[in-house]
Amino acid sequence: MASPRLPRVRLGLRDRVTIAFGLMALALSALLAVVTWVLVTHDLLSQRRAAARVETSANAQVLATGLGTHGLAVANVMDKLTNTAGSALLVAYHGHWYSTVLERDPSLLPAQLRAQVRQGSVAEQVTWVGDAKYLIVGVPLRGDGDALFELFPLGDLDHTYHVLAITLVAVAAGTSLAGLMAGRYASRRAFQPLRSVTQAAEAFARGNLEVRLEAEHDPDLAGLARSFNRTADAFAKRVAADARFAADVSHELRTPLTTMLNSAELLSRRRAELPERLREPLDLLVSDLERFRVLVIDLIEISRDYTFAEHESEPVWIAELTARAADAAAGRPVTVVEPGAERLRVNADKRRLERVVTNLVQNAERHGRGCVETRVVQVGALVRLTVDDAGPGIADRDRDRVFERFARRSGSDGARGVGLGLAIVRQHVLWHGGTIRVEDRPGGGARFVVELPVGGGHRG
Amino acid sequence: MKRHVLLVEDDPRVRRVLRLALEDEGYQVAEAATGCDGLRSLHADPPDVVLLDLMLPDTDGFAVCRGIRRDSAVPVIMVTARTDSHDVVAGLEAGADDYVTKPLVAKELSARIRALLRRAQGSSESETPRLVVDDLEIEVEEGTVRRDGDLLSLTRTEFRLLVELARHEGRVCSREHLLERVWGYGYFGDSRLVDVHIRRLRTKVERDPANPRHVITARGLGYRLVGTGG
Repeated sequence: MASPRLPRVRLGLRDRVTIAFGLMALALSALLAVVTWVLVTHDLLSQRRAAARVETSANAQVLATGLGTHGLAVANVMDKLTNTAGSALLVAYHGHWYSTVLERDPSLLPAQLRAQVRQGSVAEQVTWVGDAKYLIVGVPLRGDGDALFELFPLGDLDHTYHVLAITLVAVAAGTSLAGLMAGRYASRRAFQPLRSVTQAAEAFARGNLEVRLEAEHDPDLAGLARSFNRTADAFAKRVAADARFAADVSHELRTPLTTMLNSAELLSRRRAELPERLREPLDLLVSDLERFRVLVIDLIEISRDYTFAEHESEPVWIAELTARAADAAAGRPVTVVEPGAERLRVNADKRRLERVVTNLVQNAERHGRGCVETRVVQVGALVRLTVDDAGPGIADRDRDRVFERFARRSGSDGARGVGLGLAIVRQHVLWHGGTIRVEDRPGGGARFVVELPVGGGHRG
Repeated sequence: MKRHVLLVEDDPRVRRVLRLALEDEGYQVAEAATGCDGLRSLHADPPDVVLLDLMLPDTDGFAVCRGIRRDSAVPVIMVTARTDSHDVVAGLEAGADDYVTKPLVAKELSARIRALLRRAQGSSESETPRLVVDDLEIEVEEGTVRRDGDLLSLTRTEFRLLVELARHEGRVCSREHLLERVWGYGYFGDSRLVDVHIRRLRTKVERDPANPRHVITARGLGYRLVGTGG
């Protein structure tokens, strides 16, 4: 049985760098904290031990002198002993135990310690008495089995340890946090060029073929920048060559087209004077010449952006323009302007924007069984234009293709191409820094959605 | 009386078909294959309107246009390669009144010619035939403008633009409004027509065209004509 897989969280490169920085800072600060802890605690304890040994040894000296030389009673000598920091003294003398503190009886003393002292060496041990920690130092006295034990409470040392531990943990946590922040900052700096590469690639994909990377002098990025720029150059050149060819062809077609259109117009004006059997061929000629004219004009339109750099734009009341263009293209009022949208201005080339709206409405009229509604609405910093039709809608797989030049829709309405109209729409929308997509209209039909930045800049 | 069109166009087939089509629209057409021929014909038999192809073999169309403007206020329609080329602005600055692009059809051309040949539009008979804005005196009927008594030489289109602005003295006229009233275009007319004509008008009616005191730009809205007092 396969074990259930945990959902894998894919972290970005930046997140991973940040986390690595944080972990490194954590490991380093933890190591430092542990070393500090060990050194400091060890040092504190050994200082305390040394001091305790000195004191107890001195006391033992005093005790030995008092008992041996002066023959005093144990209790009397004990009064003379020093006991710093609340230490308690226990004396074994001639088989009797004497204590400075009542509750401290010899059963508290660890057996091992007592054994060591009995063997005649100074010994010490840290041990628990009840719930408090003590350092016990034992010094043998001259008589057999006689000894002085001193119990030093280590509670204050514990308190110091406690403060030290809190400080070290806090410092480690702070360092880790600083590490995370440093990682965040460093990765941002390090990935800055990567971001500019991403932005450039995105802009390029959106159709701005003039984008190039400036990092060719940065030794770390020169290779990437150069190859990006070379690819972009080659692609832009190719696109420009294609467009120029289309532009040249359509340019050349315009002169004969002028002759043909005017001749045909002259003939149509005299249609009534023509013999009956010539009228149908004339009508065919006239209608196909019109298609030809539209095609040539569209070809010129779609190839012009690559061949001419001149970009004109001005603030345009988008709702008014849409209403005028859409209503004229449909031949009836089809435009709904939502409240608030009527005062929106877009930085636009009026002529191009008019083509966008007109082509979308014409597309709805010709291929979508009529334009149902054109709507203008504000969506945040964007103005959204929607053109709805009553047709069969556009299949998912065709939703990108429909904007290609001479795209053919798959499906029942034959293989009739939709020409350049929607390709021009997309090109002009992108030129304005906008987006276009097609979706289903609630209730059937297709909905073309154009979004443009309000007051927004176009590239160029 | 038939309107007289001078057609300056180097391609013989286009020239022939446009002559046929324009004659069919009721115009009398004179043809010229080169810019030089065109200028000669202009002097020999002054037309009502000139249709000028900017791509001519001998001289460039802009030079021909400036040549026409040196001593004639006749409306000039230029034929340009495309609407968004620099040619449009350059041609308008050289003195053209309007432009068309190929493939051009006689019916459209005829509509353009009619718009340019209209008289300065008066909204009613009773309107005053004389407009005065500061030191500018405009005789609407005669088609003349004087500044401090000196006659200014304006083209017909410049004159109609000035009259339109003068009729709305002090108020802003949008580009769309001016396009409709002066050129007969709708909302989607090319606003560069207005902008370039305003520049040309300033060089004639302003004492210092760089600092206009009469023809004022209302940014993003349009233009207005003001007297220095107002």
